[in-house]
Amino acid sequence: MIELKGVKKTYYTDGKETPVLYGIDFKVEEGEYVAIMAPSGTGKSTLLNILGTLDKPTEGKYLFRGRDLTELNDDELSKLRNKSFGFVFQLFNLLNRVSVLDNILLPLLYTEVYPKNAREKALKLLSMVGLSERVHYKPNALSGGQQQRVAIARALINDPDLLLADEPTGNLDSKSSGEILEIFDEIHKRGRTIIVVTHEREVAERAERIITLKDGKVFKEERLK
Amino acid sequence: MKLKSFVRLLIHSFEAILSSKGKAILMMLGTAVGIMLLSGVVGISRGVEKRIEEVMKFVGPRTGIIFAGGGRLTGASGRTGSGATLKLDDLNALRSSLSDRAVFSGAIRRDGFSLKYGSQATESQIFAGDTEFLIVNEWEIDSGEPIDNDDVRNVKRVCILGITAVKNLFTDEDPIGKRILINNIPFEVKGIFKPKGTNPMGFDLDDIVFIPLSTGMKRVFHTDSIRVIRFKVREGFDLTNVQEEIRGVLNQRHKIKEGEPSDFDIRTPLFIANRINEMTKTIRLGGYVLALVALFVGGIVLMNILLLSVSERIKEIGLKRAIGATQKDIFVEFLLESITVSLLGMALGVIFGLLPIFLLPKIMPMIPMAFTVKVFLYGFLFSLLVGIFFGVQPARRASKLTPIEALR
Repeated sequence: MIELKGVKKTYYTDGKETPVLYGIDFKVEEGEYVAIMAPSGTGKSTLLNILGTLDKPTEGKYLFRGRDLTELNDDELSKLRNKSFGFVFQLFNLLNRVSVLDNILLPLLYTEVYPKNAREKALKLLSMVGLSERVHYKPNALSGGQQQRVAIARALINDPDLLLADEPTGNLDSKSSGEILEIFDEIHKRGRTIIVVTHEREVAERAERIITLKDGKVFKEERLK
Repeated sequence: MKLKSFVRLLIHSFEAILSSKGKAILMMLGTAVGIMLLSGVVGISRGVEKRIEEVMKFVGPRTGIIFAGGGRLTGASGRTGSGATLKLDDLNALRSSLSDRAVFSGAIRRDGFSLKYGSQATESQIFAGDTEFLIVNEWEIDSGEPIDNDDVRNVKRVCILGITAVKNLFTDEDPIGKRILINNIPFEVKGIFKPKGTNPMGFDLDDIVFIPLSTGMKRVFHTDSIRVIRFKVREGFDLTNVQEEIRGVLNQRHKIKEGEPSDFDIRTPLFIANRINEMTKTIRLGGYVLALVALFVGGIVLMNILLLSVSERIKEIGLKRAIGATQKDIFVEFLLESITVSLLGMALGVIFGLLPIFLLPKIMPMIPMAFTVKVFLYGFLFSLLVGIFFGVQPARRASKLTPIEALR
């Protein structure tokens, strides 16, 4: 499904070059659950941003189902993200001014065709993450774990092919973290491809495969299951 | 964009506006004040038009008035200096030289004359005029007889009453044929005028007594000069041309050389309309300028608050870009917020702007005010313009953020 070929990323600030990724190559198959592990500040967020097409590599190719995404323009990438990608962020990134339900429906504001059963679908996802009782709550009335579950429901509303999570448990206590990871297991069981970026070994071990980065390169790959 | 998705986006914008009410009110304020002023000005403009229409209708589009005395004018309804410069001979001269172009009539009007009938007494104003006066002014008789040339020629003491005068003097009796006293001079009531109502300046046109011009000059006012000559231009002649011919005839009779000011004044409905227009011009112009300044300042406030809001909502923009919003989507979203706020300001402004339109005529009837749907039309157009014009920059800034910048 995904193939990175020699992906490099260098930041330029004030005429100074800061290389972050030195040439990354790996593949992710359809339906796989992959963890990308690296200590903080070693370019793993940059890599996730490139995988999510939020950022472009300075060099190299990013093939998604055979299509080189580095050649797409901003509009095409936006539409691709809307249709095929779901994002879960460390800080949840929910809109506090609208209800839980409207947060889940938010990606549909930008779809070309608004699905007819959108509301039912959102309620179903909400029940999957165990928050059926909180439909009309505002996000800031929820706990961190609950907010992240809303964010997961939002990421799934458009039936994405790929779920990208950036330190999804980074801001949660261990109990909530466990619940979130269980939901990921469930989503994976239903056949969705998941890539999780983390610096925590326990989180990474829930995946089928761990890709470890070091100094901006793939340091090792371990298959767990 | 399909209508339904547009509506969803609109609701989303509303939610964004409602989430910070303080800011929204600040953003609306300028538009509200601007539109309020604009409504007022549009109201005044309509009022002016309406008053001019009334005056035209009242005076008649083909009539004019020659006033005795020249010099400075004091207003549309004002009288000029008390110069006794128009004589009966002037009237006769105009009749003999220009009767193919216009009908001329002379009149003297004076206030505060005592009227008595039996034990009833009142005050009224006296119009002394000739038979043409009734024709030119289209004053019609309701009952009895009009004053005729015989009455004028023989200086008869006859009169026609307006219905207010009738009400003040007679209770149940039929006034026709009765004798009343005007300044203690006996007059016979010959007829009663049809009701005429009030003129645009609020003057009761039914509170009058009409007597023959000759009788008025010789027996009541003791004067050989007349205050006004009215004229009505005949079909096929141009009012302005006839006006100039009248000026020529009178200037020659009064030995006024070219370039010197006349000792009389000729006023036409056009002149009166211009006066009203001029009198309100300053108010209207000032109002428009103030409204535009308010809209401009309000627009700048709106823009700056929206720019602030863009920086505050960088994370939100980043998130939206991540979940699939294109640059255009973000642009439209912020522009829509700007327009929505501006239109809400308009709604406020129109409500407050309608207040003076309905209240001012009661407090200051001098200022013409009238309601017109243009208030809504202009309000909508101007606030839409403000919303778009001042919303573009914040919307552009928001849309130009790359997702990664916005999410960081």
